[in-house]
Amino acid sequence: MIKLSWAGFLLLVVAGCGYNGTPTRHNDFTPLTSIRIVAADPAIEASHTIAALTSTKLTVIGDYSGLFTRDITDQVTSWSSNASTASFPYASPNNNRVFGASAGAASLTASVGGVTSAIYPLTVSPATVTAIAITPANPSIPNGLTTQFTATGTFSDTTTQDLTFDAVWASDTAAVATVSDAPASKGFAQSHTIGTATISATFGGIPAGTTILTVTPAVLQSIAVSPANPSVLSLSTVNFTATGTYSDGTTPDITNQVAWLSSRPDLATIPASGTTSVTATTLAQGTAVISAALAGVTGTTNLKVTGGTLTGFTIAPATVTLANGTVTRLTATGTFSNGSTRDISGAVAWSTADSNLATVTKAGGNLVWLNALGVTTGTPITAKSGTLTATSSLIVSAPTLQTLTITPPTGFVDLTAGASTRFSLIAAFTDGSTQDVTASSTWSSRDTTKATVDNSSAFAKGRISGVPAAAGPVIIDASYGGLTPSPSVTVTVTTRTLQSLAITPGTLNVGNQVKFSASATYTGTTIKDVTEDTVWSIDKPNVAILADSTSQPGQVVAVGSGSATLTATFGGLSKSVTITVP
Amino acid sequence: MKRTCQMIIALCLPLVLCGAAMAQHSGPYVGAFIGGNALMDSEGSDNQGSFILKFDPALQGSAVAGWDFAPGDPVGEGRIELEYTRRSNRLDQVKFAEGGFKGDGDLTVDSLLLNFFGVFHNATPWSPYVGGGLGAARMDASGLKVTGQPLGTGTSVVFAYQFGTGVDFALTNHLSLDLGYRFFSSIKPKFTEANGQSFKMDYYNHSATLGLRFGF
Repeated sequence: MIKLSWAGFLLLVVAGCGYNGTPTRHNDFTPLTSIRIVAADPAIEASHTIAALTSTKLTVIGDYSGLFTRDITDQVTSWSSNASTASFPYASPNNNRVFGASAGAASLTASVGGVTSAIYPLTVSPATVTAIAITPANPSIPNGLTTQFTATGTFSDTTTQDLTFDAVWASDTAAVATVSDAPASKGFAQSHTIGTATISATFGGIPAGTTILTVTPAVLQSIAVSPANPSVLSLSTVNFTATGTYSDGTTPDITNQVAWLSSRPDLATIPASGTTSVTATTLAQGTAVISAALAGVTGTTNLKVTGGTLTGFTIAPATVTLANGTVTRLTATGTFSNGSTRDISGAVAWSTADSNLATVTKAGGNLVWLNALGVTTGTPITAKSGTLTATSSLIVSAPTLQTLTITPPTGFVDLTAGASTRFSLIAAFTDGSTQDVTASSTWSSRDTTKATVDNSSAFAKGRISGVPAAAGPVIIDASYGGLTPSPSVTVTVTTRTLQSLAITPGTLNVGNQVKFSASATYTGTTIKDVTEDTVWSIDKPNVAILADSTSQPGQVVAVGSGSATLTATFGGLSKSVTITVP
Repeated sequence: MKRTCQMIIALCLPLVLCGAAMAQHSGPYVGAFIGGNALMDSEGSDNQGSFILKFDPALQGSAVAGWDFAPGDPVGEGRIELEYTRRSNRLDQVKFAEGGFKGDGDLTVDSLLLNFFGVFHNATPWSPYVGGGLGAARMDASGLKVTGQPLGTGTSVVFAYQFGTGVDFALTNHLSLDLGYRFFSSIKPKFTEANGQSFKMDYYNHSATLGLRFGF
């Protein structure tokens, strides 16, 4: 029965109803039985009279078997006048405009196919123009916009007549505004820059009618917010900019002028103003409308927050003992409502109970360092996100440094030229404790033409890079606390020819952080993991992003459903894989 | 209309005269149907624009020949049949940009479809079914007029399809009454206007049918 119900529902959907649109085709099946001429100007239609040397537009109304009438001026095949007093001298689309050449009477007819109209009697009066008025009078328009002027003549017999087509139009300051005198667009003004221009309409040898057109500053017509409709993980940020489109066609960056607003501050917050960009912070999963408003114009974009809402997080290490003056890395791992987990170290707010004992330093991305500054038997380290908090404990001691050891242990350490490897420096203290002090140590290479070290940041320390095209052994030294490890480590740099690059893919689900690895195959089938030496990129940030290109190379976080291309570039080779987020 | 009622009553008489039959026929069968159909407002279109054709409801007749699959048949429970139907709807009105105008003439459609219906047998003589069919339709618009003037001429043979549902009532082991609904449509047929240019139109038809099937 359930199947039957579904089938019935499907039938209703498929069946639909009849066409309910608006017809656009004219009925030309019904025969056209008669046509008649009508002056487009009601005043002229009432009098059938125009002044000499003026013109007026005529229309033709067709009667279809008495059932309906329709304007079929555009179907007129010929216009005619029986006298020289009136003629049809103009080309299309003004071929329906009759010109009064001289005073007198004329009989006008029009033909559509084989149907000829009844005679339209037209009188051309000898009246002469005495004044010309232009409307709208003294208008103002924003730069870039247009306006249509109309010239109305007052004649010696006190009648008035539209002279827009018959007058000669001009602007005295074309740089500010031009006005068309072309038959198809007489009186149509276009503004070009801020200022004033006198628009004139000349007819009949009398002083021209004039009006002043004031061009005001361009007005804002629309606002575009970039990026358009982004998808962003919760507990992250996205920068927005606003571009205005003005009536003069300019599109300046108006990020610092608009008022920013989030429709759902519970999902994403954004400051009300900014400079070169404004940074929205995403809080919880959902969609918020980000709007930018200025001068009554609003531009919007939908900010889709993905990756679930944070339900809890933990800090690692939960308890840590450090020698005074050393550092260690802190990590916060969030658990989200969609079941995903990911590194949120850079997104939470870190604090210590006593800054004389310990401080926390954010080094960008998800890289966070805990600095031991004073001896303590225990001081809390707290991370906070919204109403959620997590705490770890730091013990700082001041033991005497006894020895240092480099790992991996010395011996033959193979290093490919152009690639890198990492070493750690382990300190042993007199109290029997050991600690990885790599981030607090100093590294050096005895032959920088073969291998180099990087002491520029705590994270870079211990990373040894083989100089491209170099070869041979090189001794690497490290020092901490006035000691150096004995023995030092020797790496042998080998030049190899890169043959191919491969990416080991992971499985992505929205919100989850997954590690991809890059391995290089050299001649001789040597395969090396070059994940950290690879430049990673993703083409569609709405699908997936790199977690932290500095401290977490190759790690990808899925943002939204779709497919994107993950590209790894190393040693002049690139390898791309398609990553699909369900 | 009176004749239609008489026919419907005549078709329903077996319901009164016959007791409920539980047997489910399998094997070949033939049948005949009569019903009423409503042709939905149709959009006609040519290179001058679109217009609307409104048709009157009308009667329709069908003849079928097919095969009932026995319950438990590996093919499934249901039937396959070849169906010929004639529908002829009078053009009531044609709407153009100027408004609606009186129409005249019939749009006659002869269709031949291969139908597949799944039947839901149960412990009663009533057996609901649902299915559809594919085939061809020959559409004749040569009689269509608007304000007394020829609107279209010619015939068009097009791909056609239908969806249907209904219920069978087994009168005897061999005779069953069928009360059904059909939605019939086709790709747009193409006809020629009086001025020589061609136009296409939609065809969406809803119908309710009553018929008898006799199984051998």
